[in-house]
Amino acid sequence: MNLLNWFRRARLEYDLDRELQYHFDRRVSDLMEEGLPESEARRRATLEIGGLAQVREEVRDVWFTRWLRDFVYDLKFSARSFVRSPSFTAATVLSLAVGIGATTAIYSLVDQLILHALPVREPERLVLIDWKGDPVSTGFGSWNLMSYPICRDLQRHDRLFDGVLCRAATTITLSIDGAPEPTAAEIVSGTYFHVLGVGTALGRVLEPDDDQPPGESPSVVVSYDFWQTRLGGDPAVVGRTVRVNQYPMTIVGVAEPTFRGVDVGEVPALWIPASMAAYALPGFDNLLDRRTRWMQVLGRLKADVTPAQAQAALQPWFATMLVEDMGRPGFPRITAERRQRFLASRLEVTPAPQGHSALRRRLAQPLWVLFAATAVLLGLACLNVAGLFLARGFARDREIKTRLALGASRGRIGRQLLADSVLVALAGGLCGVALAPLAMRTLIEFLPRDTAATALHASTDRRLLAFAFAVSVAAGLLSGLAPALQAGRRSLIASLRERTGIGGGVRLRKAIVAAQIALSLVLVIGAVLFGRTLTGLLAKGPGFDTTSLISFGIEPRRSGYTRLDASRLVFRIHDEVRAAPTTAASAIARYPLLTGGSWNNQMTILADRRIATDREVNMNAVTPGFFSTLGARIVAGRDFDQRDTRAGDDSGPRTAIVNEAFVARYLAGRNPLGVLVAVGSGPDVQPNREVIGVVTTFSYRGLREESEQAYFPMLDGGEGVDVAGNFYVKVRGTPEQAVRSFRALVHAADPALPITYVRTVDEQVSRSLNAERMLATLSGGFGALALLLSLVGLCGVMSFVVSQRTREIGIRMALGARGSAAIWLVLRDAAAMIAAGTAIALPCVWMLGRLVESQLFGVTPTDPVTIAATTSLLAMVALGAALVPAYGASTVNPTDALRAE
Amino acid sequence: MPPSRFPIPQGTLDMLILQILSTGPAHGYAVAQRLEQISRAVVQVNQGSLYPALHRLEQKGWLRAEWKASETGRDAKIYALTRSGRRQLAVEKDSWARLAGAVRLIFNEGGPS
Repeated sequence: MNLLNWFRRARLEYDLDRELQYHFDRRVSDLMEEGLPESEARRRATLEIGGLAQVREEVRDVWFTRWLRDFVYDLKFSARSFVRSPSFTAATVLSLAVGIGATTAIYSLVDQLILHALPVREPERLVLIDWKGDPVSTGFGSWNLMSYPICRDLQRHDRLFDGVLCRAATTITLSIDGAPEPTAAEIVSGTYFHVLGVGTALGRVLEPDDDQPPGESPSVVVSYDFWQTRLGGDPAVVGRTVRVNQYPMTIVGVAEPTFRGVDVGEVPALWIPASMAAYALPGFDNLLDRRTRWMQVLGRLKADVTPAQAQAALQPWFATMLVEDMGRPGFPRITAERRQRFLASRLEVTPAPQGHSALRRRLAQPLWVLFAATAVLLGLACLNVAGLFLARGFARDREIKTRLALGASRGRIGRQLLADSVLVALAGGLCGVALAPLAMRTLIEFLPRDTAATALHASTDRRLLAFAFAVSVAAGLLSGLAPALQAGRRSLIASLRERTGIGGGVRLRKAIVAAQIALSLVLVIGAVLFGRTLTGLLAKGPGFDTTSLISFGIEPRRSGYTRLDASRLVFRIHDEVRAAPTTAASAIARYPLLTGGSWNNQMTILADRRIATDREVNMNAVTPGFFSTLGARIVAGRDFDQRDTRAGDDSGPRTAIVNEAFVARYLAGRNPLGVLVAVGSGPDVQPNREVIGVVTTFSYRGLREESEQAYFPMLDGGEGVDVAGNFYVKVRGTPEQAVRSFRALVHAADPALPITYVRTVDEQVSRSLNAERMLATLSGGFGALALLLSLVGLCGVMSFVVSQRTREIGIRMALGARGSAAIWLVLRDAAAMIAAGTAIALPCVWMLGRLVESQLFGVTPTDPVTIAATTSLLAMVALGAALVPAYGASTVNPTDALRAE
Repeated sequence: MPPSRFPIPQGTLDMLILQILSTGPAHGYAVAQRLEQISRAVVQVNQGSLYPALHRLEQKGWLRAEWKASETGRDAKIYALTRSGRRQLAVEKDSWARLAGAVRLIFNEGGPS
């Protein structure tokens, strides 16, 4: 109410003026009617009303109440005093700007990636429907995978859902007017747009009618951004034909501008109906197969249904479906134990207002860790400002004492100091918000990026501003609390007496410095742990030689090639690559290395007896020479050669190479060569591949992973499986030269075939460490800032103590104490603060360790070496900082010190 | 010179304003004149304290104000009692009566004056 008045005070003032004027004029005219001359009438009227200014003041008190007016007055007073001491102001504002800016930037990412609901109708009713248990099926894609038919089944539960959609992210080769380009797309059910409640800017959305028999609805919807950037905002775009993996499809609409799909980390340029999946994913013909999982299923709950209710209500149907599934043709033969696990499966319904994002899953934890780090940094900045205020409070002692003597209440003075800090915090917040977009852009640069753009942006929106404002006010109150309480507590007599003793809230300031040291120790230890993780991973490397190693990929199946043609093309290009003068060695793999993904499945091993692997083995198909190209050693047996890669009849010899980790886990203590293996774990799996070699263990999915791996030969011209060409080439000369020749080779083979990626393997290693690098760099930066802030705090307090004790030190020196004794006097104080800080920090480190454990590699969160080294380093640096004022103490001239008082 | 009047007791001004407005809407000057008439003989009302009181009562929701043409034709801010203002007046009248009764009782008890 009062605040409301504050914003319309101009209007209020105007009305009050009119009202009082009316009263005055009426009174004057009445008095004149009584016979008074005008001048006398005016005088009387003024007298009666008792001074217009006085009345106005009193009415204003009614409008705003006292505290609000006082507060505004305080702010003005603070602003004036800040202008008078610019260096103090700069120091405090800068401390808070750093803290608030960093917190805001990280919060922006947390908000966009983790908290922000999709810009769709009533996102809070969206749920993710996921399979818990053993689905007895093969999956490809990211997480929470389901089959297309089960989504169709769920669409019939219209008592629970206002619709169910399924979607899968993929990359296609899109040709508009000729030029083919890898493009991010989303394969979706026809219900997708209706369930989300997303409309179009142009044309129509995909409809349930588009969910027709496979291949019969070649319609796509493009995103607004894509329409604007790649299609030039063409108003006649609806009806235009584009080629998806060389298959012609018609653009039927443009989605509304704010909509960027359901995955914030992977924004599709276009949406393709699931019925066209065979064209979007060349060679995929399992759309209607219930045992192929590749899509995420999201539902919109009815308004009065909770996720728990929906989950419970689905269970009876789901249990029946499981039994039916087992009777269907094509259901694999499985062991009784596995059947039990299958039948014990259930559906899980969880709220998903933010949609589904693989990036979120990968980055959520690092981001929360960083957010916690910025919160600590901000706390530290607050402490710093509190310390500075306390110091200034002492300097302003005379002013405060005068005001107290003139009758100001302690509460009033405390409030004044609080206004000071709130003002500083708001200024700091303003600077922080100004800095935040820059920080955000830098942060987003750290994130992994492929074909799909992320929807993350570095702009400040209203939510973010509200956050920054709240944080600023909180920081202001926090940093002002200690000085305000101090001012409120100190009595006049005591502060007069303090003049010669050690006053000025020194004890409080020492406590603050101890807390600062504790917080920075926590941050620095964190930074060292993340730094060691990164350097550890980099030093370890992928386990093979990456020097001069280049990888590039082609996907001929996405350009309309048949399996056989694609295979021929890949091998033809490989022959040319191998013949190129820049090539030292080269090989092809079906799946790329170090991208986080792999082809994985359980395997069956037939040695003395038949066993199934207890966890999934990472597999790949490679050409002969793959291991030598990578510089990975064959430790037993031999590499693949032409004998193994002959295509065709299944009767031929089939072989496999496993890695040392595989041998150690499953074949320990026996000769692995000659053992038979096969992909899969069912009773009908026939182990018929002979292990012909053992290779050293190297990283496949990512640097942290060194699991069991199995390699199969890539069959020359084989028709059985798709040949995706991931080339690994050891080059001579500069990589740039080689890359140019590869591009020319591929272009000559087929000008319409895009290269999906080309980079050095070193680059790939570096990309795979994005999250680790982000954590290490940022926490290192935060740690350094924290250290700086607390050293400044320590130095400040110690110089203050020295200036307070100058007299005492002078007397001691006069009595024969040496300079070193004075140094010791000061250092003892500093050491006590450092010890207290360390004592607070270590239990915190121990507790926080759990939080970061999963982010670390090769070092435990309570690694004694790290903690001991960091602590002693910090202690030394802190003592060094204390040495500056300590030296000042030792040079005190006794005569001057005594005369000063 | 007017006869010696005593200042209006704290808190009764609000009640008097509510009472005056209970007979019908009026602008500040009219309220002042009415107060003047009532109090001419007895109490002294500082006109300067009238406006803060009016604004306070408006803020509390007991009065409603709007700009309307006054009897002179010029626009004036006219105050009117709201429903809750009417209730408040009843409450204040009641407590005033009880207070006055209690004071009289004490004076009567206290012996002849």
